[in-house]
Amino acid sequence: MIGRIWAIALNTFREAVRIRVLYGILVLVIGANLMTLVLGQLATNEEARVTRDVGLAGISLFGSLTALFLGVFLLYTEVQRRTIHAIVSKPIERWEFVIGKYLGMALVLSVLVAVFAVAMTGMLTWQGFGVSSAIIKALLMSWMEVLTVAAIAIFFSSFSTPFLSGIFALALWVIGRVTPDLEAAARDASPAISWTTKITLQIVPDLHLFAVSGRSVEGVHVSVHGDFVSWGYVGLASVHGLGWIIGLLALSALLFHRRDFV
Amino acid sequence: MSEPAIVVRDLRKTYRTPFRRKKVEALSGVTFTVERGQIFGFVGPNGAGKTTTIRTLMGLIRPTAGSAAILGHAIPSRDARRRVGFLPEAPYFYDYLTVGELLDLAGRLFGMSAAARTKRANELIEKVGLDRARSQSLKKFSKGMLQRAGLAQALMNDPEVVVLDEPMSGLDPIGRKEVRDLILELRDQGKTVFFSTHILSDVEAITDEVAIIARGQLQAQGSPAELVQKTLRGVEVTVRLAADVATAELETGAERVRRVGTELAVVLPADTDVDAWIARAHTAGAKIISVSPRHETLEDLFLREVANADTTVEARP
Ligand SMILES: Nc1ncnc2c1ncn2[C@@H]1O[C@H](COP(=O)(O)OP(=O)(O)OP(=O)(O)O)[C@@H](O)[C@H]1O
Ligand SMILES: [Mg+2]
Repeated sequence: MIGRIWAIALNTFREAVRIRVLYGILVLVIGANLMTLVLGQLATNEEARVTRDVGLAGISLFGSLTALFLGVFLLYTEVQRRTIHAIVSKPIERWEFVIGKYLGMALVLSVLVAVFAVAMTGMLTWQGFGVSSAIIKALLMSWMEVLTVAAIAIFFSSFSTPFLSGIFALALWVIGRVTPDLEAAARDASPAISWTTKITLQIVPDLHLFAVSGRSVEGVHVSVHGDFVSWGYVGLASVHGLGWIIGLLALSALLFHRRDFV
Repeated sequence: MSEPAIVVRDLRKTYRTPFRRKKVEALSGVTFTVERGQIFGFVGPNGAGKTTTIRTLMGLIRPTAGSAAILGHAIPSRDARRRVGFLPEAPYFYDYLTVGELLDLAGRLFGMSAAARTKRANELIEKVGLDRARSQSLKKFSKGMLQRAGLAQALMNDPEVVVLDEPMSGLDPIGRKEVRDLILELRDQGKTVFFSTHILSDVEAITDEVAIIARGQLQAQGSPAELVQKTLRGVEVTVRLAADVATAELETGAERVRRVGTELAVVLPADTDVDAWIARAHTAGAKIISVSPRHETLEDLFLREVANADTTVEARP
């Protein structure tokens, strides 16, 4: 089982690293990090803040977009190009294929996040600010966010076209990110709207858990520039994310299992 | 006791287009059995349901009704797939891999050890004649080369049953012969080969058993010899006549008559008493040159069965 999943994961990794867009994104994000040098000069005494904000936003935004992109295309093209015919006719279960596909993607995304992280922490060190534990925590949570988004995208692509999957997954990502704001807005709305919002938010992955900087968590204002969440919070949020990933992959596998490959 | 290699019972498949709700009945009750050690040809015109049957067997699509088993395992079965090799129709593989890497991936999925994978891949690359294309990515492969790579990946696990969807398509005459030889070699090793095609000469040349499918239904099954034997079309007799004899008596009842000089050739219907006819010819002073049965060719049979299938389907309310 492990061998087969690993074979699919490795092959997916090979497939993904050939996508040129990824290198564009890489250049873009690293470029943005370098830009912070200029931006930081403009905002006197704020260099560290700018570097941290741009770095983390870059990971979260471009990491998630890449996850979306890979998630909606990689599974779909296997079916579309019929490369899957020679695979699932081998002694592999379809769920193993889905997991392998996800792991391959997760591997690519992890490398991407790692490169972003190195670029950002490198900048901070070079500017002489050092890397606080808050940064490490924020990076870990961005990584979890990206991995969760990949699972959301795979879930939709297990039964839908890239276009629709892309729209659905993007919608979930946005809603997941602004959950607290939606909750706040719905509190004052009519009961009908309030309840619909509550139920919707229940079934949307809680991506906002991973992007806490600048928000208040349990009544305390947290910021990556000052007081940040505890390691316990990071652990819990990660477990939560893992729960979503496993759940979404299980659903994807179930849906994928029922499909005809023609 | 050994189960048959493949058993298909009343297999049905209706495709539904998701939005237009149009239904296409691709298989309407297909039943056949492939015995072990056979080369079984699955023949039919375009759109007959060959690929649909094969994809169902390989677990790519689910039948709407009916059942099938490979080596005694009801499909879809991972245990069966372990012992089966499969070449998809017009195969397409990850085009960034080389043939060696493709075979390695296949070997991993079959759970082979690294050493076994390398050894087997080298043997097969040699066997399918892709030795010189080893370092090229599959992207640069021609259609025929992809077909060969496809055959190689189907044989990685040294399968007991080999299922090939149009293995000769896209190949030049030499390639076709090589594939035919490969299929024969597999049979000699005791393996079962089930392949689809619409090239009848391939079927006549190598199959032990043939099934003809059209419009989602089996029209005929048997060995090529049996199939055409069943349908003896007539007997052609050629005689040399004594000069200027009236031939009217010899021509009665003949399906076709050809006279060139003193040579007379008649085609007698299959149910004619040929002995009696020859006796009459002798009496008239003719000398027999040749007597040969005229069998239906597989192609005649194929065309007729397909035409039959079309009219039956159209006659249905
Ligand atoms: N995905 C699909 N959706 C709807 N109809 C389909 C689909 N795939 C096949 N069909 C229909 O099912 C029937 C059988 O097709 P199939 O591909 O099994 O034929 P085939 O015998 O393999 O033909 P060929 O010799 O051209 O490969 C055809 O009428 C075809 O139009
Ligand atoms: Mg076909």
